[in-house]
Amino acid sequence: MINHIEHPIIEIHDLTVSYDQSPVLWNVDLSLPSGKLIGILGPNGAGKSTLIKAIMGLVSPSGGYVKLFDKSLEEVRSRISYVPQRESVDWNFPASVLDVVLMGTYGKLGLFKRPGKKEKELAMECLEKVGMQGFAKRQISELSGGQQQRVFIGRSLAQNADLYLMDEPFAGVDMATETAIFELLKQMTAEGKTVVVVHHDIYSAVNYFDWFIMLNLHLVASGPKETVITEELLRKTYGGKLNLLTKVSDLIRQKEFNPLKN
Amino acid sequence: MSDFLYFFTFQDSSIAFVVIGIILLGVGSAYVGTYSFLDKKALLGDAISHAVLPGICLGFILAGTKNPVYIVSGAFFSGALATFLTSWLRKNTRLSEDAIIASILSIFFGFGIVLLTVIQKSGNPEMAGLNQFIFGNAIAILEEDLWIYGGLAVFIILSLSIFQKEFSLLVFNAEYGKAIGYPMGLIRLVFNVLMILSVVIGIQAIGVVLMAALLITPGAAARFWTDKLGNLVILAGIFSAVSGVMGTYISFVLPQMPTGPWVVVFLSFLALISFLFAPKRGVLSRYISRRSYLKKTHQDHLLKALYRALEAGKKNMTIEEIYEAYPFQKRESDQSIDNLISNGLIIKNQSIISLTPKGKSESKRIVRLHRLWELYLNEYMNIAPDHVHDSAEKLEHILTPELEELLENRLNYPKLDPHQETIPRDHDEL
Amino acid sequence: MMSFDQNAFLIIFTASMISISCGLLGVFMMLRKMSMTGDAISHAVLPGIVIGFFVSGSQRGLEVIIGAGILGILATLMIDWLRRKARVQLDASIGITFTLLFAIGIILINLLAYKVDLDQECVLYGEIAYLPIDLWITGGGQNMGPRIMYLALLNLILVGGFIYLFFKELTVTSFDENFSMVIGIPAGVINLGLMSMVSYTTVSSFEAVGAILVVALLVVPPATAFLWTKKLNQLIKITIGIGIGIAILGYYLAYFFDSSIAGMVVSVAGIVFLASALYKSKLFSNRFGTSTKQESFGN
Repeated sequence: MINHIEHPIIEIHDLTVSYDQSPVLWNVDLSLPSGKLIGILGPNGAGKSTLIKAIMGLVSPSGGYVKLFDKSLEEVRSRISYVPQRESVDWNFPASVLDVVLMGTYGKLGLFKRPGKKEKELAMECLEKVGMQGFAKRQISELSGGQQQRVFIGRSLAQNADLYLMDEPFAGVDMATETAIFELLKQMTAEGKTVVVVHHDIYSAVNYFDWFIMLNLHLVASGPKETVITEELLRKTYGGKLNLLTKVSDLIRQKEFNPLKN
Repeated sequence: MSDFLYFFTFQDSSIAFVVIGIILLGVGSAYVGTYSFLDKKALLGDAISHAVLPGICLGFILAGTKNPVYIVSGAFFSGALATFLTSWLRKNTRLSEDAIIASILSIFFGFGIVLLTVIQKSGNPEMAGLNQFIFGNAIAILEEDLWIYGGLAVFIILSLSIFQKEFSLLVFNAEYGKAIGYPMGLIRLVFNVLMILSVVIGIQAIGVVLMAALLITPGAAARFWTDKLGNLVILAGIFSAVSGVMGTYISFVLPQMPTGPWVVVFLSFLALISFLFAPKRGVLSRYISRRSYLKKTHQDHLLKALYRALEAGKKNMTIEEIYEAYPFQKRESDQSIDNLISNGLIIKNQSIISLTPKGKSESKRIVRLHRLWELYLNEYMNIAPDHVHDSAEKLEHILTPELEELLENRLNYPKLDPHQETIPRDHDEL
Repeated sequence: MMSFDQNAFLIIFTASMISISCGLLGVFMMLRKMSMTGDAISHAVLPGIVIGFFVSGSQRGLEVIIGAGILGILATLMIDWLRRKARVQLDASIGITFTLLFAIGIILINLLAYKVDLDQECVLYGEIAYLPIDLWITGGGQNMGPRIMYLALLNLILVGGFIYLFFKELTVTSFDENFSMVIGIPAGVINLGLMSMVSYTTVSSFEAVGAILVVALLVVPPATAFLWTKKLNQLIKITIGIGIGIAILGYYLAYFFDSSIAGMVVSVAGIVFLASALYKSKLFSNRFGTSTKQESFGN
């Protein structure tokens, strides 16, 4: 069940990604509409984060390509924002909450320029949106998990993008934060932004997202909620990996080189 | 040449002692080092080897001479203190492991330098011997030193052999070891002690600065040749012993040359050979197998082209048609054709090429795998028929008979692929 | 004995500049968890230095810096080659690379012993004590003062400029490399720049403190400062403060004990580091109930 659409904001064509030469994503082929809150679902190790990283050019695919706004990534970098997994950084880093959110403005600032008054105001605004304005001067090592997550989202807001890709923003946060973040994301899509979120909890996901991408090493489904949240597709997504696919992956890993690479 | 004979025939008993010493310590440190390499703690060995310097100096100051017992004990205690501080700092501060190891390494070394210069300026004539501990001088190993260094090396080798199971557990999966009731803390402690000892016995011959190489390089090089722990350790030991003897020989021929750097150069050379030429994992053999794989894919594609011609009702193809199908690859095409002919898969009559019966069966197999995979992608992975071709172009060369069987089963011996083309079976007639 | 004389001032001034340069770079090396890479680079540039000395003869000039720069980059490439092409794990790649290059350096020193004014001791701990008599004489014969002081000053200016200009980029790539790449900051280039500055600083400080003790100055002051603060600008300030403090204290202690100045500077840094760690450790704060508790908020 894969719904393709006209004038997609993201177009992924036949994308295959391997880590250490064993494929973790097989032939993903999909297109996504703009202005929607999109959830990426799938079991552990299904390739959810990998898909986002491939879209952001952080891992290079062994096959296929990605187009954003019908252009290459380089041309539209400033219109895209990325929220990595919270655990991907060391929160002992000596920086304040405001410092981290200001990093969101660095892309547009260019080389040598320092963030000035304008950037600081923007950063404060973003902190307000995530309910962290009172913590601007706090050091990030002193934050709770939920607060760290809000800071990361604040930083992505400061990028002032049209497309947001978020890797597990609800992981390890309390219920209040989860609701607050969700309200914020809904508001963003109402303003015409597109938000793509990797999510692990199928039960809450049904209430959150308008469009779903369901992954299990390959693309199981991509489409609006009503067409893809079916028992059959959920079983395909969460009901174990395809035996044959795993075997082929093993076969490829045992080769001395990656046969999928051109 | 006479030097060479003199050295390697061991007429001089002191040379024999030195060679025995260097072999024992090389094997011992390679043994320990292989484990710490597998444990991904290679750089801790570097820290320990720099950190024994102040202990050596203190041992010297206390003894007043180059007494091996004092020096070995001093080195051991300062190595142990450094190891202890490293793990203490890891538990009690926010510093990253990397910063801790680098700090401990350089602080101990700096303090060692202070002691060294203090001794130097005290005017003790024995001082000359102490300098050798920094870059090593195997030739200076005396018989009485050998008993200590050799004894410790034998102790290390025996301990590691007897507790091989426990140390393997430590390196492979310490958490699991704990869960099944092994005292992992104690095993780690014993291992650290052995690691410090292996550094301590190497300092006279190799020197503190380069001792890390004897711990890291043999294991890393041997890893390219084997997957078995037993073989790995033996091979690492051989690499280390050979380089040790070679380095000692250089020091013997050129007395002003320190031994350590030469041992490291020989060791690195062996490692480089391993990285490049080891079967399977080596850079060269990976390159060769990739090349031959690419050749095979080209041949497979030729067979497929001939099969498709058959499907279209053409019994054969001209060589020009093949060149046309693969522009800019004339040489590869010629080579593939030659190979296919010598394997009895095709025959060439003037410039007309056709499949032999054997070639027919092989080409059917490739086309079958291609189309089965396309169907699998389409049915099980929901990929549109116009997007399945590229993946199948790659997979058709690597799918095994076992996977073919599995595909047939899973797809229930299908007749047609997603493009409505026949999936050929061996008994099908064309 | 502790009288203030011009030579003492020159030595302390130079040592301070060197430890500030190293500390500034070291802060970012530490935050990137690359302290050991710094260690590797400082060992690995040795053959470049020796060849540079050999080529340039007694005039220690640009050749030395170029030679070491090439080796620094070669070391980075070799580590990368071992990791990617030969698939050796990272820690072992670092270990193999620097031990080999350092060994080659030592062998070269011994081979060229009569042609190069460089000995093993100099590699180990340099000799900043001779700084006041190693003067820079211009072509016109004018005495400009200690040569190494100018090297250190130039180094400090370049390192300071580098950190100042790329502060934003260095910070964001250290904190979150992926994010920095996503927003279009060339993380690889910034990293290479930092490594080049580390190699250059190693060379420039080499004659004064030796190749190995440079590592201590790169690593220990930032690590100590990290124990005391959670703010980046304070981290840098404290690192600079420690750099100056250990230079002064190290000099006078070395004078007192008649030992290597560089070694003593590092020993003082080590004592400050270990004392800070003990004071700031959980052990200490639990047992003595000091106010250094670092419970995180809102957990």
